[in-house]
Parts: sequence; C-alpha cells; structure tokens
Amino acid sequence: MLTILVKLLKVLNSEQSPSQIAAAISLAAIIGITPLLSLHNLVVVFVVLFFRVNLTLFLVSWPIFTLLGVVLSPLSESLGLMLLQAEPLIPVWESFYNTLFGRWSNFYYAGVLGSLIIALAAGLILYPVSQKLIVAYRHQWLDKLEKFKIVKLLKTSRLWQMYQSYSG
Amino acid sequence: MKIIRWWGISAFAVLIILAAAIWFLLAPKLIASSIEEFGSEALGAKVDVARVELGLSPLTVGIFGLQAADPDKPMQNLLEVEEVTFAVDLDALLWKKIVIDELNLSGVKLATARAESGSLGGGRRSSQLVDQIVTIEMPELSEADLDAAVEKTDLITLKRIDEFKSRQADIESRWQNALDKEAFNARQEKLKREFQRLSKRAKKNKLNLIKDRKDWKKLKKAIDSERRQLTGLSDQLKQDRQLLSQQYQSVKQGPDDDLKAVMGQFGLGDGVDGLVDRYLGPKYTPWVKRAIEMAQGVQTNNSGQGAEQSGAAVLLGERVFFSDEKLFPDVLVKKMNVSGQDINWDLEGGGFNLGYLPWLTGKPAKIDLKFSGNSLAAIKIDSNWPSAEKMTTKLDAKINRWPLSELPLMETPEGSWLLSSAVLAANAQGNITLEKIDLVIDFSFSSVQLKLPENLIGWQKSLADSLARQSKINFKLVATGDLTDPKIKLSSGLDKLMQGAVGEQVKQKAEKLKDKVKQSISAKVGDIGDLSNFGDNLNQWQSQLSSNDSALKDLLGKIKI
Repeated sequence: MLTILVKLLKVLNSEQSPSQIAAAISLAAIIGITPLLSLHNLVVVFVVLFFRVNLTLFLVSWPIFTLLGVVLSPLSESLGLMLLQAEPLIPVWESFYNTLFGRWSNFYYAGVLGSLIIALAAGLILYPVSQKLIVAYRHQWLDKLEKFKIVKLLKTSRLWQMYQSYSG
Repeated sequence: MKIIRWWGISAFAVLIILAAAIWFLLAPKLIASSIEEFGSEALGAKVDVARVELGLSPLTVGIFGLQAADPDKPMQNLLEVEEVTFAVDLDALLWKKIVIDELNLSGVKLATARAESGSLGGGRRSSQLVDQIVTIEMPELSEADLDAAVEKTDLITLKRIDEFKSRQADIESRWQNALDKEAFNARQEKLKREFQRLSKRAKKNKLNLIKDRKDWKKLKKAIDSERRQLTGLSDQLKQDRQLLSQQYQSVKQGPDDDLKAVMGQFGLGDGVDGLVDRYLGPKYTPWVKRAIEMAQGVQTNNSGQGAEQSGAAVLLGERVFFSDEKLFPDVLVKKMNVSGQDINWDLEGGGFNLGYLPWLTGKPAKIDLKFSGNSLAAIKIDSNWPSAEKMTTKLDAKINRWPLSELPLMETPEGSWLLSSAVLAANAQGNITLEKIDLVIDFSFSSVQLKLPENLIGWQKSLADSLARQSKINFKLVATGDLTDPKIKLSSGLDKLMQGAVGEQVKQKAEKLKDKVKQSISAKVGDIGDLSNFGDNLNQWQSQLSSNDSALKDLLGKIKI
C-alpha cells in the first residue's frame, strides 16, 4: 500500500506532462469499468503502450476502476439493455453486428455496451478534470503542503525515505 | 514533447503473441473442463475427457477418451467414445460461428466399466427420486372424522338440487301463463260462435256459403293459427321435459360425485386405480422421471435469452439478438459419422445438418443410427425448422432386442427392486412441433430376472410372486399436448399386478370407508326421491295441450267448405 502511495506521489511530482497522467487515469477507467475481455480493451492497451501514457498510474488506477465497474454493473446492464432495445437504434446495431469488428466487440451484451458508455463518459470527464487537478497540485498545493508541520514530520518518516530511494 | 513510444508497438505485439500462446496452451484444458463441467451438470454424473488436442492448420479439434458415467451405476459408463474429431471452418469462425464439415465419433461403446466412481460429489439429483420409497398407508378414520369431512365439504348434490328446483319453479310459472285456461276457452268460444253464425247462414241459404267464403276462410285461418301455437307449446314442453330430465340425472349422480370428492380428501378418490397411479406413475419409475426432467430442462434452457458471464470481474450481461446477415447457424455440423463396437453390437450411423440455431441451416437435420449384432435397434430423428417459429421433428425408434442388466424398478422400505437382467424391446413414434408434442413409446421387458429385497410380506410379496410369473412386462408412455407442459401418462402391465397385489387389502378398507361416507352424504343431502315426480306437472300440461288441440281439430273438421 505504501509502495503504491509512493509511486503515486512520484508520478505526481515528476516532470511528466499532466496530459500523460490524465490519459492514464481516463484509459484505466475504460479498461476497468468495462469487461476485461472485450475487443475495445485491446485498442486501449495499444493506445497506452503506443502513446506516452503514464504506465504506473494506469496500472495503479486499473484495479480501482475495476471495483467501480463491479459496483456499476447493474446500472451498466440496464443502460445497455435500454440502448440495445431502443427502436430507433436497432438498424444501427444491426448493421454494426454484421461487421467483423461489431461481431467481436461483444457490444450486443447489455453489460458491455452499458459499461462502455459509462466508461467513455467517465474517461472524457476524468481527462480534463485530472489534468487541471495535477496542474493545480504542482503549482499551488505542493508549496503550501510542504509548509505544513505534518508534512515536515512525514519527511523524516520511512515513507519519505522510500520515496527518495524511488526517485533515486 | 514526444508523444509516441515506439517500443510500445513491440511490447503490444509481444503481449498479443504471449496471450495467443497462453490461449493455445490452455485451450485444450479449457475445452476439456468445459465439456466435463456442462456434461456432468446435464447428466447428473461425471463426464470425463482424457485429453483434447488442437491443430492449427487446418484448425482441428480432437477429443479423446470421452466417458459419461451412468447416474444409476456410478461404476459404469453410460457412453464411452474413444475419439471425437472435427475440423473447424476458419471463414465461419471469423464471424464467431463454428461450422464443422465432418464430425467423426469413433469407438462408441455403451455400459463400459469405470475405473473410479462416476457419482458426483454431494449426490446426484436422481438419487433423490430413487430414495422415494413406496409405502401404502391406508387412512384409519373414525365416524366422527368422516362426518366432519362431509360436513365441511361443499356438496355438489345440494347445489344441483337447488338448481333443479329453481329451474322447475321457473318452468312452472312459465307454463301457467302459457296455458291460461280461461283465455283459451274465451278464444275457443269466440271461434265456435263464429262457426255457428256462419253455419246458420249457410242453412238458411246455400248461396250464403259463397257469399261468406271470406269469413269461412278467416275462421279456418284463425283455427290453424291457434293449433300452430299449440304445436309450438307442445315442442317447448318436450324441451323442458328433456332439460329437467337431464338435471334430474345430474342430481341423481351428485351423491356419487360427492363421494368421490370426499374420498379424494383421504387419497382414495379413484379407489384402487388411483392408488396404482400414485404408486406406479412416473414418480416412482426413476429412469422415466429422469427422462422427463431432462426434456423439461432442455426446454427451460432454450427458452431463456442468453445471459452470459465473463471470466472478468465485470459481467457481460444479457445478450440481445440482432438479425444476422451471415445466414448460417452459430454452430453447424454438416455431417456426423458415428461408429462403435461392443460385445453385443456394432454401431453405424450419423447425422446431417445439425445446427444451432437450427432454422438457419436451411435443410432438415437428420440423425440415423443403427445397431446390429446381438442387440438390434434403429433410431431415426428428422427435424425440420423452416423458420424460427416453425418446427417439426419426427422420431422413429425401434429396438427389437436390447439386453439390459441391473435396472431399478422401485424402492420399498425393504429395499430396491431391480430387474437384474431383461431384454428390452421398444417402439417410439412421435411428432414434436414448437407447440405440441405427440409421442408414444411402447416398451417391454422379456426374459426378466428379478432381484428383490428379502422378507417381503403382504402386498409386496403378492406383487413379487406375480412379477416372477410374468414372461413379459409391457409399458406405454404417452406424452401429448402443450410442449411446455405436456401430459405424460405411463401405463404398464405392472398396474394390473399392483392392483392384484394391493387390490384386496385396499378394496376392503376403501369399501368400508366408502359406505360410511355414503351414509354421511345421504344424511346431509336428505331424500331426493321426491324430485322424481317432476314429470307429473309436465304430463298434465301435455294432456291439456292435447285436449285443446283436439277440440280445435273437431271444429276444423266440421268446416266443409
């Protein structure tokens, strides 16, 4: 747990761009909230590896979003079922079903479609929000935080030593 | 700032190759465990697969050493197949469909011995049925109990009496109006006066007959009309008599119906026949019951929409089906070859166009299996699905001779009744559609050797003796009606033997109870003999109608014009 926290702090305090870190959170949300063995997650993994998305934060956030996905499962299924059964959308689903990508995407399962919609929405919201939070953390909160006595105390602790050893 | 990580492509490729390699290594085990898991669940006994082999070019699957244990005899296999091999069409697989050009099942054997028990941990479902023990307990009731039961019962006889009386009153009031004597006499008097007037005029002068011809015709018409009314009333009276007569018969039948209903409360509604149905119906014939359960299970599984679960933490959820432009089934076996050999038989056969979803195959599915040698049997199934809404399946199976051993017959407190050896002959003919089932299976056991519990007494002893004397035991299973809830009736030669064995004992007790209940019902209903006089009034009305008609007929006869 401490190691994870240290890794998180290291990422936040590193010189990596906020957009790389925010992308990691957004993409982790997609892979975590949706069923793992879905075709779109292969695309997510490719994007994570091909673009300079922060891998540490992606791997740390993934299980957290998986837990969220489990909690949201009933909601995802009802949303997916509603969309799949919506009369005006049926021609769209039918033509998508008859494409190779559609066939392997498993979109015709209510849980897949519903969770993907929720995950995409979460990802789209999380990207700018986390970007702003990281910028705010680095420019405003970090200096203020370091002035707190508790932080000064923490700097003498094992956690800080771990952090220092990680940052090398 | 660099946004692309070039080594990421290699990492992604390695990841994909690694995943594919792991899948290829694990797939045989996954396929084997899936067959074992689903097969065991469906059969209620262990299904084992020795090994599965996958080939990549072309994509072939080989399943070796498939064994399905017999739920009744865990140390024996119901079916053993040495080798199942097939190649999967890659073009179809691209569309998530499994198309097999030729499926080969070789080394099919039945009833082979197992090295280890095939029973499932926690016991199989069917064992609960075998554990249901046949006991015959006759109710011991006091007169007070019987009176109370009759008192509580809403007797149908009383209802029918009320209905009869109400109908009778209704008819009586209607007829009193219809046969108003004064009104009829007044009308008759009027007709007579007119007749006398015209007759006088005719006597005075014969030419008046010509002058009054219109009045004479009018008079005749009036008499005819009156007589027609009387004929109508007479017909009506006949109908009323018939109606009352039917209701009276129903009232007379009432005490018997009530007796049956009250006896039914003590489990003796149908007397000895009812007991036989209870004790020798499918409920106590485990293998028939299991077949019925399996059939019902298949229906239940097919009726539901596909809800699948992912191995991952988040669920796939319910599947919604869309129209598929790739018009071939999700799974299709174009041709199946089956062969096998045992001490008693050689098996040859196969099937064509076996598909799921079957209506997408475009051709009827056929299965044709032939056993030759000491065991002779032929099974033909022809299933045609022109569309998702229409299906006709024809079953034609004939078993001329099939040696059997250790077949459970029933369980009593003293132990299991087994057919230790017998020769089965059967004929199954049936048609099944999506709405209806019409299936008749006649089967018989000859050369029967029984293995019975020791120290049998009473009806069980009688039944055992009767069974031992039988050269053949016949059964008939009929399933008809709605496919989702078919009416299943099993009748057998055992029925009569059972009746003979328990008949006397049951009959005596049932008759004793019956007499007591009869008395109690009679006391509550009272005397219904008075009701039989319902015809008296009807006769009286009929005679009044006849006398009126004859008076009018006389009058008509006097008119000479």
